[in-house]
Amino acid sequence: MSNPLSDNDPNQEECQEDDMTPADLIAKLEEAWLNEKFSPELLANQAEVVECVMEQLTHMEANLQRVKKGDPKASIHRMEIDRIRFVLCSYLRSRLQKIEKFYPHVLEKEKSRSKGEPALLSPEEFAFAKEYAANTESHLKSVALSHMPPILQTLDMLKAVPAPCLDSFVFLRVKESQENILVEPETDDQREYVVDLEEGSQHLMRYRTIAPLISSGAAQLI
Amino acid sequence: MDPSEVEFLAEKELVKIIPNFNLDKLYLIGGDLGPFNPGLPLYVPVWLALNLKQRQKCRVVPPDWMDVEKLEEMRELERNAATFTPAPCPYYMELTKLLLNHASDNIPKADEIRTLVKDIWDTRIAKLRLSADSFITQQEAHAKLDNLTLMEINTIRGFLLESLNCMYKLRSNLQPGSSKGPLADY
Amino acid sequence: MFCEKAVELIRELQRISDGQLPAFNEDGVRQVLQEMEALYEHNQADVNETKSEQRADLLPSIRLRHCCLLRNQRCVGAYLYDRLLRIRALRWEYGSVLPANVRFHMSAEELQWFTCYKKSLASFMRSLGGGGGLDVTQDMRPPKSLYIQVRCVKDHGELEIDDGTLVLLKKNSQHFLPRWKCEHLIRQGILEHVVH
Repeated sequence: MSNPLSDNDPNQEECQEDDMTPADLIAKLEEAWLNEKFSPELLANQAEVVECVMEQLTHMEANLQRVKKGDPKASIHRMEIDRIRFVLCSYLRSRLQKIEKFYPHVLEKEKSRSKGEPALLSPEEFAFAKEYAANTESHLKSVALSHMPPILQTLDMLKAVPAPCLDSFVFLRVKESQENILVEPETDDQREYVVDLEEGSQHLMRYRTIAPLISSGAAQLI
Repeated sequence: MDPSEVEFLAEKELVKIIPNFNLDKLYLIGGDLGPFNPGLPLYVPVWLALNLKQRQKCRVVPPDWMDVEKLEEMRELERNAATFTPAPCPYYMELTKLLLNHASDNIPKADEIRTLVKDIWDTRIAKLRLSADSFITQQEAHAKLDNLTLMEINTIRGFLLESLNCMYKLRSNLQPGSSKGPLADY
Repeated sequence: MFCEKAVELIRELQRISDGQLPAFNEDGVRQVLQEMEALYEHNQADVNETKSEQRADLLPSIRLRHCCLLRNQRCVGAYLYDRLLRIRALRWEYGSVLPANVRFHMSAEELQWFTCYKKSLASFMRSLGGGGGLDVTQDMRPPKSLYIQVRCVKDHGELEIDDGTLVLLKKNSQHFLPRWKCEHLIRQGILEHVVH
């Protein structure tokens, strides 16, 4: 084939879980991006999606290298690559930010996770989080804690660093209808009640109430 | 969320264009596009339409709702309804801005459209402020927000969520180490 | 008053807006640590006296001093930690090389923390995508696939656009170029954006 952009390359099997097309993959990345952006806590990692998207990008870049100069298709592909790369980087940045901000809690949650549960952190993120923790704690120790009286030379970082506030309000759109979602009262003179969340409807409520719907994919933060 | 990010999402919407050039089908990662034939209309994402338009490679066909009569109707409907009527399009504000800024010569009565969309937006934002106000004063725990667009939600997001969280903290009188730790709570 | 120095450290950070880093207050930190040492020694002595001479009346002052110790520890911890968060933000704002006036405000240990942070971040980015790497500090804003009108401020030679066309950037010439291609040239002062 003389033009590397003119055929749909099927050579990406390793990354195609359940017949996901590249378009589905991008949609999945965008969903993960918005969820991560708006969720107060770090969500389970989507390392597979990240890896597959990166593979798509690398593949496309390689094709572009082989394209004749002046091919008007190249600039359009490049624009698309830029758009996808932005979402990917922005997604990974939101995660890094939360990993740093909540590192003792993130590491604790990862440690106490049972075997079957999906990993909170990707292997790369886990390595980063451990280094960040060690670096930060050794700084506190060498500058201050080691010069304090013996009983005060440790600081429980789980207590010292604020945990994510799961009671934050969030906006969400429902993707699969849900019945009987319990809404807890805001004040003592109110009563708890249940709501039905219809497919396609949008809501404002506490993250804690709907967190399971976000991780299962039944709702999307907006 | 930065407004530029909402605009970024709006740019994924499809818009009809009439190209003046020939180009084979494109196999983008996000799906196939084209082929492009001079004079033959086709749908492309807004980000591509605007790029082609700027390089004078196409004419943009305004979306159906971007029409003075239709928008006038919607404005009346919106003004008379107590709740939010369905928006002309999930990204009506951003698309109006993008298309009118970069392809206004392809849109009949562009100035009137700009004013009408602004009127609809203002009416909706006024309603949104009122409902946000009552949400806070009633200390509600849940609100249904059907028909609100992302850009509309985004205009009150920061202020509303911040206020709600602040009030929550005042009410719940947190103990150190429960949710806010001493390193941030001095 | 006990803890006054410690609270002063916190105030110092609170006075200065989030994105900025005041000079490291080495003296302030040392004074708090000294106060802690004195409080601790005093308490040690009182605790011994309580035990040996049954002086229960000393207990309230022991407790007071202990609270002050905890408060001092908490304030110094918060002071150091908040500074790290500011330094972290600077990495994202300025890139891996901080301007001299910022470095000047950092302690030797903070510079070391920063070096480690940079290293961790770099190896995280290198390890992404099965070792292919991805610089997540780029692409901070959504791309704009739009063209802009620019004027050449000085001769720069040829510029290749993504579709392969070459544009000669000659002083005073005007061009219609993809924005993402000119942004760094605008920052370098080679091009200027013509606003109509």
